[in-house]
Amino acid sequence: MTMASVDEAADWPTQPGGPTRPVRVDQAADALPRVLPPAAGVPGDLRAHLSRHGRPPYQGGHGRLIQAAEQAGLTGRGGGAFPVHRKLAIVARARGRKVIVANGAESEPASRKDALLLRVAPHLVLDGLQLAAEAIGASEAHLYLHPGIAPEVARALRERKAARLDRIGVKLTEAPQRFLAGQESALVNRLGGGPAVPTFVPPRVSERGLGGAPTLVQNVETLAHLALIARYGPHWFRGLGTPEEPGSMLTTVHTEDGTHVVEAEIGTSLRTLIAAKANAHGLDCSAVLIGGFHGAWLPAAKAATLTLDNKALQPHGAALGAGVIAALPAGRCGLIESALVARYLAAESAGQCGPCLNGLPRMAAALAELAGAELAGAELAGAELAGRGHRRQVPADLKRWAGLVTGRGACTHPDGTARFVRSTLTVFADEIALHARGQCSATQCSATSRTPFLPLPPGMPTTEDDWI
Amino acid sequence: MSNSTAFWYASRATGVVALLLLTAVLVLGILVNRQGRLPGLPRFAVTSLHRNISLLAVAFIAVHVLTAVADTYVSIPLLSGVVPFDSGYERLWLGLGAISFDLMLAMIITSLVRGRLNRVLWRAIHLLAYLCWPVAFAHSIGSSHDLQHGWLLYLAIVCALAVAAAIIWRLASAARQLPRAARVAAILARHTASHGPSQARERIPR
Repeated sequence: MTMASVDEAADWPTQPGGPTRPVRVDQAADALPRVLPPAAGVPGDLRAHLSRHGRPPYQGGHGRLIQAAEQAGLTGRGGGAFPVHRKLAIVARARGRKVIVANGAESEPASRKDALLLRVAPHLVLDGLQLAAEAIGASEAHLYLHPGIAPEVARALRERKAARLDRIGVKLTEAPQRFLAGQESALVNRLGGGPAVPTFVPPRVSERGLGGAPTLVQNVETLAHLALIARYGPHWFRGLGTPEEPGSMLTTVHTEDGTHVVEAEIGTSLRTLIAAKANAHGLDCSAVLIGGFHGAWLPAAKAATLTLDNKALQPHGAALGAGVIAALPAGRCGLIESALVARYLAAESAGQCGPCLNGLPRMAAALAELAGAELAGAELAGAELAGRGHRRQVPADLKRWAGLVTGRGACTHPDGTARFVRSTLTVFADEIALHARGQCSATQCSATSRTPFLPLPPGMPTTEDDWI
Repeated sequence: MSNSTAFWYASRATGVVALLLLTAVLVLGILVNRQGRLPGLPRFAVTSLHRNISLLAVAFIAVHVLTAVADTYVSIPLLSGVVPFDSGYERLWLGLGAISFDLMLAMIITSLVRGRLNRVLWRAIHLLAYLCWPVAFAHSIGSSHDLQHGWLLYLAIVCALAVAAAIIWRLASAARQLPRAARVAAILARHTASHGPSQARERIPR
């Protein structure tokens, strides 16, 4: 088991001025961290980056990196885990103007890895962007990112320009803070000047994307891994991870002790990953949310036996997604937490497809009824258990509705929400029974403590401007 | 009844039926656009009905044109079925007929290849329906003495009223509609305000 971690805003100063002497680190195939820089230095420092990795190794032609990505077995780190070489090849084959987009929108509220990566290692991401652009023959490059980190990335781009590292210019665009803003077609709509709402596929953006041009959208972490594969080769890349899912991945681990971004080897034991970040409280959790708000809950005892890879998680209905691992502290109520998340997901529907627009609010209301809490506003102001039983058919209704909305949207928002709600019904079945009697197992009930454990952005979209 | 008069009667009859069908197509199209329903039919059935009746209408119009051309009492060139104002006989009214037929063909052909077409372009062409129906109606009234009196006149008036009512309903429905970004909040507020037993039994609309 190998892990390296960067504690959010702890080890990394937000302002330059720390030690500037580059730190030499081991580039051995099993060493971590890979995409994150070693935990001492200035975030985004170009000299440190060049001394660690050198200049971007342009391959001198189209397509060579695609073969290396295939041999490395690199998959997308944005949540879909789609083989990178296939996406590269589709766009590389197309003729005419092509566009590449580095996706750092990270619209999943529980994920922090992309923002952190862009802050501490922007040059590795930007190397990957240039190398992928070369591989597919793109003439236009974009970086779509969190509001707030654009100035730091713009500074990195200026440094690269001075050092003549980049072959094509990179345009920065801030993503609106909407759950769906990072979805591929929503991203293309936003870069095209419109609201960040998804559209129906086909055509896929790889066939007809920004301005009608074939568009390659890759998560920023994926591009960072690609930049390393270009330098150290597929064999090196496979020095970590499992044969099916090689390499390392960035995870965002939530425990009672806080939120940590951890670069971990794929296939690491979940127990170790969580325990390493829950020093004070050990493994005192009741359930683990895997993959974020479109992911699934697993009972803690089950999660402790599993590893950080899709092959191990799939039989249990879970997937890594963008690497969110949230260990619900034993004192918290998973039902109320889930009801709040379901309400957030319903509010984040783009309101375009009937099943999503009508079904998600209905599911959220039913989950709130099971929780027995009046979930008024984003906060749980004045919330308390209603002390009355819910109607008996509500869980069955929820399961039926989850089936009805699945596969019926332009994007997978209804599917992901249905998966989350289904796992809530299964994993917190005992809690639901308890709430039906007006009780709650939590000592530190989320309904009485003001801040929910899972991070939920305040407010909800009500105007078109909220999507821009 | 000679061959010629048979063609003449066939042309008049198919023309009247085509007007009825076109009226139905336009009203159903408006219903599809506003995601409305017909009693007892699911929403996709309204869409299918709109499509199938429009194809049926084109078939009737083809017979309507061909029989008018085949009729030897007046000379109508075949081309005047699609080229406006090409006919010496009733130049204006037949010209309008040709225009509405051309517009119909444009809408049907773009709909058949809709998957390969830009949505905005398809929609722009489909909006020509609001030009096509009145032109076809004017052609019907102007070129046919049948529709100018008696119960066929009443039928024509009913068609016009149906189209007018559908258009008014469409405009009113569009004016009532919330902008996309506000829809979710409105629905969520409705559910938060009252989650009573009655709501849970409703089906999720398709």
